[in-house]
This record gives sequence, structure tokens and C-alpha cells, in this order.
Amino acid sequence: MEKKTRLIKKTSRTFLLTGLVLAVLSSIALYFYTKGLLQDQEEESLYSTEARVVNALKNDKTVLSFPPVTEIKKVQHIRPEILKDTIIYDPSQDEMEEFRELSTYEKINGQTYQITVRYLVVESKDILIAIVFSNIAIFVLAFLFLFYFNTKKNIKLWNPFFKNLEQMKKFSLSSNEELHLVDSDVLEFSELKEEILLLTSKVRNDYKNLKQFTEDVSHEMHTPLAIIQAKIDNIINEHSINKKQFDQVSSIQKHIQRLKHLNQRITILTKIDNNQFIRVEDVNITKILEEKIENFKELEIDYISLSSKNDLIASMDVYLADILINNLISNAIKHSSQEKKISIISENKTLVISNYGQKALQHPEKLFLRFYREVNSVQSSGLGLAIVKKICDLYNFDFSYNFSENQHSFSVVFK
Amino acid sequence: MMKYLIAEDEIDLQQSIVTYLQRDGNLCEVASNFDDASEKVALYDYDVIILDINLISGSGLEILKSIKKEKKDVGVIIISANNSLTDKLEGLDLGADDYITKPFHLAELNARINAVLRRGKYGGDELIEFNELKIDTRSRTAYIDGRDIALTKKEYDLLVFFLSNKGRVLSKEIIAEHLWGDNSDLLDNFDFIYVHINNLRKKLTAEGAKYIKTAYGSGYKFIED
Repeated sequence: MEKKTRLIKKTSRTFLLTGLVLAVLSSIALYFYTKGLLQDQEEESLYSTEARVVNALKNDKTVLSFPPVTEIKKVQHIRPEILKDTIIYDPSQDEMEEFRELSTYEKINGQTYQITVRYLVVESKDILIAIVFSNIAIFVLAFLFLFYFNTKKNIKLWNPFFKNLEQMKKFSLSSNEELHLVDSDVLEFSELKEEILLLTSKVRNDYKNLKQFTEDVSHEMHTPLAIIQAKIDNIINEHSINKKQFDQVSSIQKHIQRLKHLNQRITILTKIDNNQFIRVEDVNITKILEEKIENFKELEIDYISLSSKNDLIASMDVYLADILINNLISNAIKHSSQEKKISIISENKTLVISNYGQKALQHPEKLFLRFYREVNSVQSSGLGLAIVKKICDLYNFDFSYNFSENQHSFSVVFK
Repeated sequence: MMKYLIAEDEIDLQQSIVTYLQRDGNLCEVASNFDDASEKVALYDYDVIILDINLISGSGLEILKSIKKEKKDVGVIIISANNSLTDKLEGLDLGADDYITKPFHLAELNARINAVLRRGKYGGDELIEFNELKIDTRSRTAYIDGRDIALTKKEYDLLVFFLSNKGRVLSKEIIAEHLWGDNSDLLDNFDFIYVHINNLRKKLTAEGAKYIKTAYGSGYKFIED
């Protein structure tokens, strides 16, 4: 996944980058343009000086040489004029100076002269640098101001969006808390808000209906089941049936029980969803464990060992604590391999229940899903661990599974 | 002979309960809605009322309230389709003697009715007697011809369950459900019920009480020869 950048940061970055590129490009353009302009100016000035010198010579006025600015030499031949940059030692400043130099050859009153005029370049360079620098300075200042202003404005502009986003993050299907969305004068934001409201209310409604439906179905099933059960009980007693029929009727009874247990579990799940377990008290988990182990001994299940240093206390509903422990132990019993040994370790706030198994689960991530089974066992409702997970989620307990040394281990970290 | 009122709006279930309970020669009256039930409760005396919480035109809990208000000497067993703890607690708080969730075995209902009756208040007896067999439910001990027989907790429960459902066929499923409740679905098979039943049978037979019979190969029946 690509790295995510914050919206404001992203727009600011683009803005700053554009500013930088613009400043550089405009400075370069300004540099060359101004440079050309200055050069034209210098050359114009050189030609004009030269013209004046020629004029003076023609009028036979004595023109003195002021090296290095003006130099007049008598020469033999006429040559083409030269315009070039040159470096000449300036004794007054005791350094080499750069000059622009124009040398022309003119025949005046029968005498050929070489007229050289020069212009000190340093001056124009300083101007050039000053212009470019001030340009950059203006740009930077303007951009900083604009950047600050823009960011402020952007934050304000996007504010409804950010606020609504925060609200959406807090959205929970199971809670009935209303979303407090902010309206905006920006059409798109306003539309977004309306759509969010529409979607969330629809999702909530669907969820509520589904929950209600599950609850109703499981509730409505009790009575028909009770009738079937009662009729079967009477069939066994009132009619003379044969052994085969009895076996079949017994099997029906067994499956009615299955449905009954399934219903009970669905009811627990919906009740947790409906937040019907609001009583929270300090529950002694270790004590429940001891009681359960004692109960299971009556079922000839005497291979559960408990090791705990001190009592594990959790704040939760006592009924849910009972279901949690019962489901975890039941799960371990149901999925025990030939080596029948279940160890329960409670330490501080952590409870680990392990049982032996042949191999690790193929899809441990699906373990807590409803009706997920890796072995097809009639006994398993497929809801036991889903209920444990739901209870753990309700109280923010950490519930995890791992497989090592041929043991399936489920651990719950209570709070 | 006991007199029962079965207040249940599902006629099929109501009639099945009647059929089962009548076999012991008990008198069963029925009420199929709230008004009917209220009227019968007000007018007649019963030993035990089997009361559905969700009657078509009202709540069975209201009827329970009026029974308790008038201090009627009657046992009440609530039937509910709702397996919720709060319903159960509310029912018991209001003075119901027991609470049973749909679906249930008629044998289980019968055992609960007998247990309510035995608590003495409602014309019952804390002693269960059957020929030479005598059970003191207060001290949870069984006697044959006055000699007490040592039973484990499960064997005792099993014996009382059998005695409550004399002459009825009890499948292993029903017995397992009675003895272990919801945990019975943990059992791979009900084989070890044999162990408990056989042990009980041996103890009774040793004293000459051969009442536990096998029915249809895998069920049991407590019956006089």
C-alpha cells in the first residue's frame, strides 16, 4: 500500500513545490532578459561614445585618450570593427576589471584611427544580481504569505469534512448513538453528509431488522419444538412401537435437543449484541473453573487439571463468565484427541486452556466465525467459540488461539 | 390423585401435557387463554398450576401475581419460550416454584411437578413410597424395607426421576438431559448412563427390588412386575 499523506499536507506540498519552480524559472528568465537589456544599453552607449569621438576628430578637435575608457591610436590599415569583453588592470583599484570593448577603425581627414571605447561591466552585473535577488525575495515572501493564508483557508474549508470523518470513525453498528454530522456551505460536502446519514441509517436499520429477525425466529421455534417433543414423549408411552421405531424416535429427540441448544446459543449472541448484559461485577474466574471441573467429573470427564497461583478476578457479568468458561472447556472436551488431557492455567489476568490435537487448525482465522467447523461433529453447534469471542469483544478481553507441541491452546486475557 | 391446571395457549402442547399427566390418574383442567386461566385460578383450587408466561391475551406472570396476592396454596411451574435469566428470576421472585424452558420433556415436567408437590406445602409428602421402597427426599436417602441403601448423588437423582415417571419409557436422551442438563450435549454417547443405571439396578436388585426394566433395547422403564 502506498504511504498515505494528509490532505492539508499534500496540498501545501504541491503549493510549495509550484512556488519553488516558479521562483527559479522566473528568476532565470528575468536574469537573461535583464542581462540582454543591459548589454543593449551598454553597446548603445559604446557606439554613441564612439560616434562622439569620431565627430570630435572630424572637427579637428583634440581628443585625448582616457585609458581604459577611451583610446585613440593612429594605425595604417582599416580593419572591421570588434565588439568583445576584455579584462584590463585598473591601477586605481589595483585589480583586474571586466570591460566591454568596442574597437572601430575610421579614416578621418586622411588619417586612419583606431578608436577603442570601453564600458565597465561590473556596474551592470551588480544591477543584474540585485534584480534577480529581489525577484526571489519577493517570490519567497509572497509565497510564504500565500502558503500561510492558503493553509488556514484550506483547514477551514475542509473542516466539515474532517469533522464528519471523525464521526464516521466513531460509528458503531450496535450502538444507537446518533452521528453528529456538520453541515457545510460547500455543495459537495453537504451532499456527502446527506449520503452518509442515509447510508448509516440504512445499515443500522438492516442490522436491527436482521437481529430482530434472528431473535424472533429463535424464539418462535421454541413452541413448535416443545410440541414435537411432547408428542414424541407420548408416542413412546402410549403406543406399542417396535425397537426400530423407538430408536428413530429417540434420534428425533436427540436432534430436538440439538435445535434447543442451537437456539439457546443464538439467543445469547443476540442478547450480547443487544447489550442486555449490563451488570458488571468482580467475578472469581478461578472459582467458576473449580466448580466446572467438579461438574464435568460427574460426566466421567476427569482429565481436566487446573493450575493457578492466585484467584483470577474479572469484571464482567457473572452469567457471561459462566458461559465463557463453560464454552471454552466444552470446546476442549469436544476436540480432545486420543490423549485425553486438558490443562487449564490461570496466571495473573491470563487464562490458557489447552487440549491435545492431531494437527494445527487449517484456518485458525475462521475459528471464531459462526458455524465454522473443521471437523463434522454432530455435537458441535459451531457457536461456542463465536460466543466466547463475542463476550471477549464486549469486555475488550484479548482472545487468541495457537497450536504448539500438539496442543490447541486458547487464551483469554481478562481486564 | 392430584388436580392440575394447565394454562397453555398452544392446544397441541396443552393436550400432550394433559395426556401425559392423566396417566397417573391425576385430574387435569386446561385454560387456553389469559381470561380463562384467571377465572379458573380464582374459582377453583389446584395442587399445581402449569403456567405459560406468554398467554395469547396476557402475561402468565400477572396470573402468578394474583395467585400470590390471594395467598393461594398452590404450586406454580412456569413454562416459557424465552430462555432468559431475567424472566426466570422474575418468575421465581414472584413466587413460582419452578421454571422450565421450551422445549422440555414431559418426563422432566412431571419430575418437576412431583418435586414441587413433595416440598410438602401443596398436599404432597416429603416421602416417596413404592412398595418396599421408601425415599426421604429431605435427607436424600433411600430405604428398602427400612434398610438404607447407599446411593451416589446421580443414582439417587435417577431413582427419584424413575419414581416420578413410573411406568413411562425413559430414553437415554431424556435421562441424560435430566441428570446433566445442557452439558449432556457434550457426551459422545450415552454409554456411561448404563453405568449409573446398572449400578442403581444392582443395588436395588440386591435387595429384591427389580423394578428397572429395559424397554425397546435402549430405553428404561420403572415398573412393577
